[in-house]
Amino acid sequence: MALTAPTGEWTDEQKSLRKSLSQHFEALNAGHLEDDAANRFNRDKWQLIRDSGVIRIPFAEQWGGLGHDVLTLVYVLENLGYGCRDTGLLFALATQVVSAAIPLQKFGSDDLKDRYLSRLIDGEIISAHAISEPNAGSDATAMITTATEDGDEYILDGKKIWITSGPLADIITVYAKTGTAGGAAGITAFLVPTDTSGFHVGEPIEKLGLNTCPFCELEFRDCRVPKENMLGKPGAGFFILEHVMNYEILCIFMMMVGEMEERMERCIKWAKTRQAFGASIGSNQYVAGKIVDMKIGLENSRKHLYDTARRFNRGRSVTTEISMAKLITSEANVASALSAIQIFGARGYTREYGLEKGLRDAIGAPIYSGTNETQRVRIASMLGL
Amino acid sequence: MDETTQKIKAFIVEEFMPDVPVEDLDDDFDLLTGGVVDSLGLLKVVAWLEDEFDIGVDDSELGPDSFRTVAAIKAYVDQARETAHAE
Repeated sequence: MALTAPTGEWTDEQKSLRKSLSQHFEALNAGHLEDDAANRFNRDKWQLIRDSGVIRIPFAEQWGGLGHDVLTLVYVLENLGYGCRDTGLLFALATQVVSAAIPLQKFGSDDLKDRYLSRLIDGEIISAHAISEPNAGSDATAMITTATEDGDEYILDGKKIWITSGPLADIITVYAKTGTAGGAAGITAFLVPTDTSGFHVGEPIEKLGLNTCPFCELEFRDCRVPKENMLGKPGAGFFILEHVMNYEILCIFMMMVGEMEERMERCIKWAKTRQAFGASIGSNQYVAGKIVDMKIGLENSRKHLYDTARRFNRGRSVTTEISMAKLITSEANVASALSAIQIFGARGYTREYGLEKGLRDAIGAPIYSGTNETQRVRIASMLGL
Repeated sequence: MDETTQKIKAFIVEEFMPDVPVEDLDDDFDLLTGGVVDSLGLLKVVAWLEDEFDIGVDDSELGPDSFRTVAAIKAYVDQARETAHAE
Protein backbone atom coordinates (compact mmCIF):
# COMPACT_ATOMS: atom_id res chain seq x y z
CA MET A 1 0.00 0.00 0.00
CA ALA A 2 1.01 3.62 -0.32
CA LEU A 3 0.59 6.38 2.20
CA THR A 4 -2.71 8.22 1.95
CA ALA A 5 -2.32 11.68 0.42
CA PRO A 6 -4.01 14.09 2.83
CA THR A 7 -5.54 16.38 0.20
CA GLY A 8 -5.13 17.24 -3.45
CA GLU A 9 -3.47 20.60 -2.80
CA TRP A 10 0.11 19.54 -3.46
CA THR A 11 2.24 20.55 -6.42
CA ASP A 12 4.11 18.07 -8.58
CA GLU A 13 7.36 19.25 -7.00
CA GLN A 14 6.07 18.59 -3.50
CA LYS A 15 4.75 15.19 -4.49
CA SER A 16 8.03 14.30 -6.15
CA LEU A 17 10.02 15.39 -3.09
CA ARG A 18 7.82 13.29 -0.84
CA LYS A 19 8.03 10.25 -3.07
CA SER A 20 11.81 10.55 -3.47
CA LEU A 21 12.34 9.36 0.10
CA SER A 22 10.71 6.01 -0.60
CA GLN A 23 13.85 4.77 -2.40
CA HIS A 24 15.72 4.86 0.95
CA PHE A 25 13.22 2.92 3.06
CA GLU A 26 14.74 -0.52 2.59
CA ALA A 27 18.23 0.65 3.51
CA LEU A 28 16.95 2.72 6.43
CA ASN A 29 15.13 -0.30 7.85
CA ALA A 30 17.94 -2.82 7.44
CA GLY A 31 19.02 -4.01 10.89
CA HIS A 32 16.99 -1.43 12.77
CA LEU A 33 15.87 -3.94 15.42
CA GLU A 34 19.50 -4.89 16.05
CA ASP A 35 20.49 -1.22 16.32
CA ASP A 36 17.64 -0.71 18.78
CA ALA A 37 18.73 -3.67 20.89
CA ALA A 38 22.30 -2.36 20.93
CA ASN A 39 21.28 1.28 21.67
CA ARG A 40 23.26 2.19 18.54
CA PHE A 41 23.08 5.36 16.48
CA ASN A 42 23.86 4.15 12.97
CA ARG A 43 26.23 6.53 11.15
CA ASP A 44 25.63 4.82 7.80
CA LYS A 45 21.94 5.56 8.10
CA TRP A 46 22.69 9.14 9.08
CA GLN A 47 24.60 9.36 5.82
CA LEU A 48 21.48 8.11 4.01
CA ILE A 49 19.45 10.83 5.71
CA ARG A 50 22.04 13.37 4.58
CA ASP A 51 22.05 12.04 1.03
CA SER A 52 18.25 12.14 0.85
CA GLY A 53 18.36 15.94 1.25
CA VAL A 54 15.45 15.92 3.69
CA ILE A 55 17.25 18.14 6.20
CA ARG A 56 17.60 20.83 3.51
CA ILE A 57 13.89 21.22 2.80
CA PRO A 58 12.92 24.26 4.93
CA PHE A 59 16.10 26.28 4.49
CA ALA A 60 16.98 29.11 2.12
CA GLU A 61 18.76 28.22 -1.08
CA GLN A 62 21.63 30.60 -0.37
CA TRP A 63 22.71 28.27 2.46
CA GLY A 64 22.22 25.11 0.43
CA GLY A 65 18.59 24.56 1.36
CA LEU A 66 15.67 23.69 -0.89
CA GLY A 67 13.65 26.79 0.02
CA HIS A 68 10.37 25.10 0.94
CA ASP A 69 7.91 26.00 3.66
CA VAL A 70 7.03 24.10 6.81
CA LEU A 71 3.95 22.61 5.18
CA THR A 72 6.08 20.97 2.50
CA LEU A 73 8.48 19.76 5.16
CA VAL A 74 5.82 17.97 7.18
CA TYR A 75 4.22 16.57 4.01
CA VAL A 76 7.53 14.94 3.15
CA LEU A 77 8.25 13.83 6.71
CA GLU A 78 4.89 12.09 6.90
CA ASN A 79 6.08 9.75 4.17
CA LEU A 80 9.39 9.19 5.91
CA GLY A 81 7.51 8.23 9.08
CA TYR A 82 5.47 5.81 7.00
CA GLY A 83 8.42 4.04 5.47
CA CYS A 84 11.21 4.24 8.06
CA ARG A 85 10.88 2.04 11.14
CA ASP A 86 13.95 3.46 12.88
CA THR A 87 12.05 5.93 15.03
CA GLY A 88 15.16 6.91 16.97
CA LEU A 89 16.88 7.93 13.75
CA LEU A 90 13.83 10.00 12.80
CA PHE A 91 13.95 11.63 16.21
CA ALA A 92 17.57 12.58 15.58
CA LEU A 93 16.58 13.92 12.15
CA ALA A 94 13.83 16.13 13.60
CA THR A 95 16.26 17.37 16.23
CA GLN A 96 18.77 18.19 13.51
CA VAL A 97 16.22 20.28 11.62
CA VAL A 98 14.72 22.16 14.54
CA SER A 99 17.29 22.45 17.33
CA ALA A 100 19.92 24.75 15.83
CA ALA A 101 19.33 25.28 12.10
CA ILE A 102 15.75 26.58 12.37
CA PRO A 103 16.50 29.14 15.11
CA LEU A 104 19.78 30.04 13.42
CA GLN A 105 18.03 30.73 10.11
CA LYS A 106 15.33 32.87 11.71
CA PHE A 107 17.12 34.54 14.62
CA GLY A 108 20.87 34.25 13.96
CA SER A 109 23.30 36.83 12.57
CA ASP A 110 24.68 36.48 9.06
CA ASP A 111 28.08 35.76 10.56
CA LEU A 112 26.71 32.82 12.55
CA LYS A 113 24.86 31.56 9.49
CA ASP A 114 28.06 31.74 7.46
CA ARG A 115 29.85 29.66 10.04
CA TYR A 116 27.29 26.96 10.69
CA LEU A 117 24.10 26.91 8.65
CA SER A 118 25.33 25.17 5.50
CA ARG A 119 27.04 22.43 7.50
CA LEU A 120 23.98 21.96 9.71
CA ILE A 121 21.54 21.49 6.87
CA ASP A 122 23.98 19.17 5.12
CA GLY A 123 24.09 17.06 8.28
CA GLU A 124 27.88 17.25 8.34
CA ILE A 125 27.71 18.61 11.88
CA ILE A 126 25.09 17.25 14.27
CA SER A 127 23.05 19.52 16.51
CA ALA A 128 20.93 19.37 19.63
CA HIS A 129 19.24 21.77 22.00
CA ALA A 130 19.58 22.07 25.76
CA ILE A 131 16.39 23.16 27.47
CA SER A 132 15.36 20.80 30.30
CA GLU A 133 17.14 20.75 33.65
CA PRO A 134 16.96 18.34 36.60
CA ASN A 135 14.34 20.60 38.24
CA ALA A 136 12.86 22.30 35.20
CA GLY A 137 11.32 20.07 32.51
CA SER A 138 8.19 21.20 30.70
CA ASP A 139 8.24 24.30 32.92
CA ALA A 140 11.22 25.64 30.98
CA THR A 141 10.98 29.11 32.50
CA ALA A 142 12.00 27.60 35.85
CA MET A 143 15.50 26.87 34.46
CA ILE A 144 18.42 27.99 36.60
CA THR A 145 21.37 27.62 34.22
CA THR A 146 22.85 31.10 33.99
CA ALA A 147 24.59 33.07 31.26
CA THR A 148 26.48 35.93 32.89
CA GLU A 149 27.68 38.81 30.74
CA ASP A 150 31.44 39.40 30.97
CA GLY A 151 32.96 41.77 28.41
CA ASP A 152 32.53 40.29 24.94
CA GLU A 153 31.39 36.96 26.31
CA TYR A 154 28.70 35.22 28.30
CA ILE A 155 29.70 32.65 30.92
CA LEU A 156 27.44 29.59 31.10
CA ASP A 157 27.07 27.71 34.39
CA GLY A 158 24.59 24.95 35.13
CA LYS A 159 23.26 21.53 34.16
CA LYS A 160 20.94 20.33 31.41
CA ILE A 161 19.29 16.94 31.01
CA TRP A 162 17.50 14.74 28.43
CA ILE A 163 19.55 16.14 25.56
CA THR A 164 18.44 14.36 22.38
CA SER A 165 21.50 13.62 20.19
CA GLY A 166 23.63 15.20 22.94
CA PRO A 167 26.41 12.58 22.83
CA LEU A 168 26.68 13.06 19.04
CA ALA A 169 26.33 16.79 18.81
CA ASP A 170 28.93 19.17 17.46
CA ILE A 171 26.89 22.25 18.31
CA ILE A 172 24.05 22.82 20.78
CA THR A 173 21.54 25.61 21.24
CA VAL A 174 21.64 26.35 24.95
CA TYR A 175 18.85 28.23 26.69
CA ALA A 176 19.96 30.03 29.86
CA LYS A 177 18.93 32.76 32.24
CA THR A 178 20.49 36.15 31.58
CA GLY A 179 20.25 39.06 33.98
CA THR A 180 17.92 39.10 36.94
CA ALA A 181 14.61 39.05 35.12
CA GLY A 182 12.54 36.05 36.13
CA GLY A 183 10.20 33.83 34.10
CA ALA A 184 9.95 34.08 30.37
CA ALA A 185 11.65 37.47 30.21
CA GLY A 186 15.01 36.22 31.41
CA ILE A 187 15.84 33.44 28.96
CA THR A 188 18.41 33.86 26.18
CA ALA A 189 19.53 31.37 23.52
CA PHE A 190 23.15 30.72 22.53
CA LEU A 191 24.71 28.55 19.87
CA VAL A 192 27.53 26.69 21.58
CA PRO A 193 30.06 24.34 19.93
CA THR A 194 30.53 21.27 22.11
CA ASP A 195 34.32 21.63 22.05
CA THR A 196 34.07 24.91 23.96
CA SER A 197 36.12 24.89 27.17
CA GLY A 198 33.90 24.27 30.19
CA PHE A 199 31.32 22.31 28.17
CA HIS A 200 30.98 18.77 29.55
CA VAL A 201 28.97 16.04 27.80
CA GLY A 202 27.69 13.16 29.95
CA GLU A 203 27.34 9.49 29.14
CA PRO A 204 24.32 8.26 27.13
CA ILE A 205 21.24 7.67 29.30
CA GLU A 206 19.55 4.26 28.98
CA LYS A 207 15.84 4.57 28.26
CA LEU A 208 12.72 2.65 27.29
CA GLY A 209 12.57 3.54 23.60
CA LEU A 210 14.06 5.68 20.83
CA ASN A 211 17.20 3.66 21.51
CA THR A 212 18.97 4.52 18.27
CA CYS A 213 19.04 8.16 19.30
CA PRO A 214 21.22 8.77 22.36
CA PHE A 215 20.27 11.19 25.13
CA CYS A 216 22.64 12.61 27.76
CA GLU A 217 23.19 15.25 30.40
CA LEU A 218 25.31 18.36 29.90
CA GLU A 219 27.19 20.46 32.39
CA PHE A 220 28.58 23.96 31.93
CA ARG A 221 31.32 25.15 34.24
CA ASP A 222 32.72 28.58 33.46
CA CYS A 223 31.88 27.93 29.80
CA ARG A 224 32.66 31.11 27.87
CA VAL A 225 30.63 31.86 24.75
CA PRO A 226 31.23 34.88 22.49
CA LYS A 227 28.36 37.38 22.45
CA GLU A 228 28.02 36.93 18.71
CA ASN A 229 26.81 33.36 19.36
CA MET A 230 23.60 34.71 20.84
CA LEU A 231 20.42 33.97 18.86
CA GLY A 232 17.98 36.86 18.76
CA LYS A 233 17.94 39.51 21.43
CA PRO A 234 18.88 39.15 25.10
CA GLY A 235 15.79 37.81 26.84
CA ALA A 236 14.18 36.64 23.59
CA GLY A 237 14.90 32.97 24.31
CA PHE A 238 11.34 32.20 25.31
CA PHE A 239 9.97 33.31 21.95
CA ILE A 240 12.71 31.41 20.12
CA LEU A 241 11.88 28.33 22.15
CA GLU A 242 8.20 28.64 21.31
CA HIS A 243 9.01 28.89 17.61
CA VAL A 244 11.32 25.87 17.81
CA MET A 245 8.82 23.78 19.79
CA ASN A 246 6.12 24.49 17.23
CA TYR A 247 8.45 23.20 14.52
CA GLU A 248 9.50 20.24 16.63
CA ILE A 249 5.95 19.11 17.31
CA LEU A 250 4.91 19.48 13.68
CA CYS A 251 7.91 17.49 12.43
CA ILE A 252 8.03 14.68 14.99
CA PHE A 253 4.30 14.12 15.23
CA MET A 254 3.69 14.21 11.49
CA MET A 255 6.22 11.39 11.15
CA MET A 256 4.17 9.62 13.80
CA VAL A 257 1.08 9.90 11.58
CA GLY A 258 2.96 8.07 8.84
CA GLU A 259 4.03 5.47 11.37
CA MET A 260 0.43 4.98 12.53
CA GLU A 261 -0.75 4.49 8.98
CA GLU A 262 1.88 1.85 8.25
CA ARG A 263 1.05 0.07 11.50
CA MET A 264 -2.66 0.10 10.72
CA GLU A 265 -2.00 -1.38 7.28
CA ARG A 266 0.00 -4.20 8.85
CA CYS A 267 -2.88 -4.87 11.21
CA ILE A 268 -5.44 -4.93 8.37
CA LYS A 269 -3.31 -7.37 6.40
CA TRP A 270 -2.84 -9.58 9.44
CA ALA A 271 -6.51 -9.43 10.43
CA LYS A 272 -7.52 -10.53 6.93
CA THR A 273 -5.17 -13.51 6.80
CA ARG A 274 -4.91 -14.76 10.38
CA GLN A 275 -7.52 -17.44 10.99
CA ALA A 276 -9.16 -18.27 14.29
CA PHE A 277 -12.30 -20.30 14.96
CA GLY A 278 -12.77 -20.88 11.26
CA ALA A 279 -12.68 -17.28 10.11
CA SER A 280 -10.27 -14.39 9.65
CA ILE A 281 -9.81 -12.48 12.89
CA GLY A 282 -10.79 -9.29 11.03
CA SER A 283 -14.33 -10.61 10.82
CA ASN A 284 -14.42 -10.51 14.61
CA GLN A 285 -15.99 -7.17 15.50
CA TYR A 286 -13.74 -6.74 18.55
CA VAL A 287 -10.66 -6.90 16.32
CA ALA A 288 -12.20 -4.83 13.55
CA GLY A 289 -13.21 -2.20 16.09
CA LYS A 290 -9.62 -1.81 17.25
CA ILE A 291 -8.52 -1.19 13.68
CA VAL A 292 -11.34 1.30 13.13
CA ASP A 293 -10.16 3.19 16.22
CA MET A 294 -6.61 3.16 14.85
CA LYS A 295 -7.94 4.76 11.65
CA ILE A 296 -9.91 7.40 13.54
CA GLY A 297 -6.89 8.22 15.72
CA LEU A 298 -4.53 8.65 12.79
CA GLU A 299 -6.93 10.74 10.70
CA ASN A 300 -7.76 12.94 13.67
CA SER A 301 -4.04 13.46 14.27
CA ARG A 302 -3.36 14.15 10.60
CA LYS A 303 -6.13 16.72 10.37
CA HIS A 304 -5.03 18.62 13.46
CA LEU A 305 -1.38 18.61 12.45
CA TYR A 306 -2.01 19.80 8.89
CA ASP A 307 -4.45 22.47 10.07
CA THR A 308 -1.87 23.67 12.58
CA ALA A 309 0.93 23.58 10.02
CA ARG A 310 -1.15 25.69 7.60
CA ARG A 311 -1.86 28.27 10.28
CA PHE A 312 1.79 28.31 11.40
CA ASN A 313 2.82 28.68 7.76
CA ARG A 314 0.72 31.84 7.56
CA GLY A 315 2.64 33.27 10.52
CA ARG A 316 -0.26 33.02 12.95
CA SER A 317 -0.13 32.06 16.60
CA VAL A 318 -0.72 28.33 17.16
CA THR A 319 -0.50 28.10 20.95
CA THR A 320 -3.77 26.22 21.39
CA GLU A 321 -3.63 24.36 18.10
CA ILE A 322 -0.13 22.96 18.58
CA SER A 323 -0.94 21.70 22.07
CA MET A 324 -4.09 19.99 20.82
CA ALA A 325 -2.28 18.42 17.88
CA LYS A 326 0.50 17.13 20.13
CA LEU A 327 -1.95 15.68 22.65
CA ILE A 328 -4.16 14.01 20.07
CA THR A 329 -1.30 12.49 18.09
CA SER A 330 0.78 11.24 21.01
CA GLU A 331 -2.21 9.59 22.67
CA ALA A 332 -3.46 8.13 19.39
CA ASN A 333 -0.02 6.66 18.72
CA VAL A 334 0.22 4.95 22.10
CA ALA A 335 -3.30 3.54 21.63
CA SER A 336 -2.44 2.41 18.09
CA ALA A 337 0.77 0.70 19.24
CA LEU A 338 -1.07 -1.13 22.04
CA SER A 339 -3.86 -2.24 19.71
CA ALA A 340 -1.37 -3.58 17.16
CA ILE A 341 0.29 -5.76 19.79
CA GLN A 342 -3.09 -7.07 20.91
CA ILE A 343 -4.19 -7.81 17.33
CA PHE A 344 -0.97 -9.70 16.61
CA GLY A 345 -1.30 -11.60 19.88
CA ALA A 346 1.83 -13.39 21.10
CA ARG A 347 3.69 -12.39 17.94
CA GLY A 348 3.05 -8.75 18.75
CA TYR A 349 4.70 -9.26 22.12
CA THR A 350 7.95 -10.47 20.57
CA ARG A 351 10.85 -8.34 19.43
CA GLU A 352 10.89 -10.01 16.02
CA TYR A 353 7.76 -8.24 14.77
CA GLY A 354 8.89 -4.79 15.85
CA LEU A 355 5.51 -3.91 17.29
CA GLU A 356 6.75 -3.91 20.88
CA LYS A 357 9.47 -1.46 19.79
CA GLY A 358 6.74 0.70 18.31
CA LEU A 359 5.06 0.82 21.72
CA ARG A 360 8.32 1.56 23.54
CA ASP A 361 9.03 4.38 21.10
CA ALA A 362 5.46 5.72 21.34
CA ILE A 363 5.37 5.97 25.13
CA GLY A 364 7.86 8.83 25.13
CA ALA A 365 5.63 11.10 23.06
CA PRO A 366 3.17 12.10 25.80
CA ILE A 367 6.27 13.19 27.78
CA TYR A 368 8.66 14.94 25.40
CA SER A 369 8.06 18.30 23.68
CA GLY A 370 6.14 19.40 26.79
CA THR A 371 4.20 16.76 28.73
CA ASN A 372 0.59 16.23 27.81
CA GLU A 373 -0.37 17.49 31.26
CA THR A 374 1.45 20.75 30.51
CA GLN A 375 -0.23 20.95 27.12
CA ARG A 376 -3.62 20.70 28.82
CA VAL A 377 -2.60 23.49 31.21
CA ARG A 378 -1.66 25.65 28.19
CA ILE A 379 -5.00 25.02 26.53
CA ALA A 380 -6.85 25.75 29.76
CA SER A 381 -4.91 28.98 30.12
CA MET A 382 -5.76 30.03 26.57
CA LEU A 383 -9.40 29.38 27.40
CA GLY A 384 -9.11 31.83 30.26
CA LEU A 385 -9.19 29.17 33.00
CA MET B 1 -6.50 57.55 26.22
CA ASP B 2 -6.53 56.34 22.61
CA GLU B 3 -8.67 53.39 21.56
CA THR B 4 -5.79 50.92 21.15
CA THR B 5 -4.42 51.62 24.62
CA GLN B 6 -7.91 51.34 26.04
CA LYS B 7 -8.41 47.91 24.46
CA ILE B 8 -5.01 46.67 25.65
CA LYS B 9 -5.64 47.80 29.20
CA ALA B 10 -9.11 46.26 29.25
CA PHE B 11 -7.67 42.94 28.07
CA ILE B 12 -4.78 42.94 30.56
CA VAL B 13 -7.06 43.76 33.46
CA GLU B 14 -9.71 41.24 32.49
CA GLU B 15 -7.23 38.41 31.96
CA PHE B 16 -4.53 39.06 34.53
CA MET B 17 -5.62 41.69 37.07
CA PRO B 18 -9.33 41.15 37.66
CA ASP B 19 -9.31 43.05 40.97
CA VAL B 20 -7.74 46.20 39.51
CA PRO B 21 -9.82 49.01 37.96
CA VAL B 22 -8.69 49.72 34.37
CA GLU B 23 -7.95 53.35 35.23
CA ASP B 24 -5.44 52.23 37.87
CA LEU B 25 -3.25 50.39 35.34
CA ASP B 26 -0.46 52.77 34.43
CA ASP B 27 0.87 52.77 30.83
CA ASP B 28 4.40 52.15 32.14
CA PHE B 29 3.67 49.54 34.80
CA ASP B 30 6.10 46.62 34.34
CA LEU B 31 3.85 43.64 33.67
CA LEU B 32 6.70 41.13 33.59
CA THR B 33 8.75 42.09 36.62
CA GLY B 34 5.51 42.83 38.43
CA GLY B 35 4.55 39.16 37.91
CA VAL B 36 1.31 40.03 36.16
CA VAL B 37 2.07 38.32 32.84
CA ASP B 38 3.93 34.99 32.99
CA SER B 39 5.08 32.79 30.10
CA LEU B 40 1.61 31.45 29.30
CA GLY B 41 0.31 34.98 29.66
CA LEU B 42 2.74 36.18 27.00
CA LEU B 43 1.40 33.60 24.57
CA LYS B 44 -2.12 34.66 25.41
CA VAL B 45 -1.25 38.31 24.73
CA VAL B 46 0.32 37.42 21.37
CA ALA B 47 -2.75 35.40 20.30
CA TRP B 48 -5.09 38.18 21.42
CA LEU B 49 -3.14 40.88 19.55
CA GLU B 50 -3.37 38.85 16.34
CA ASP B 51 -7.11 38.41 16.67
CA GLU B 52 -8.02 41.82 18.01
CA PHE B 53 -5.92 43.94 15.67
CA ASP B 54 -5.58 41.48 12.80
CA ILE B 55 -1.80 41.76 12.81
CA GLY B 56 0.78 39.09 12.21
CA VAL B 57 3.25 38.81 15.06
CA ASP B 58 6.76 38.29 13.72
CA ASP B 59 8.52 36.38 16.46
CA SER B 60 11.95 37.19 15.03
CA GLU B 61 11.35 40.71 16.30
CA LEU B 62 10.00 39.69 19.68
CA GLY B 63 11.75 40.20 22.97
CA PRO B 64 10.47 40.67 26.48
CA ASP B 65 10.51 44.46 26.09
CA SER B 66 7.79 44.20 23.43
CA PHE B 67 5.32 43.20 26.12
CA ARG B 68 6.76 44.72 29.28
CA THR B 69 4.23 47.55 29.58
CA VAL B 70 0.95 48.65 28.08
CA ALA B 71 2.85 51.43 26.30
CA ALA B 72 5.27 48.89 24.80
CA ILE B 73 2.42 46.69 23.58
CA LYS B 74 0.74 49.73 22.03
CA ALA B 75 4.01 50.65 20.27
CA TYR B 76 4.29 47.09 19.00
CA VAL B 77 0.75 47.17 17.59
CA ASP B 78 1.40 50.52 15.90
CA GLN B 79 4.61 49.20 14.37
CA ALA B 80 2.92 46.01 13.14
CA ARG B 81 0.10 48.02 11.56
CA GLU B 82 2.59 50.31 9.83
CA THR B 83 4.48 47.33 8.48
CA ALA B 84 1.29 45.69 7.25
CA HIS B 85 0.18 48.97 5.64
CA ALA B 86 3.56 49.40 3.89
CA GLU B 87 3.26 45.88 2.45
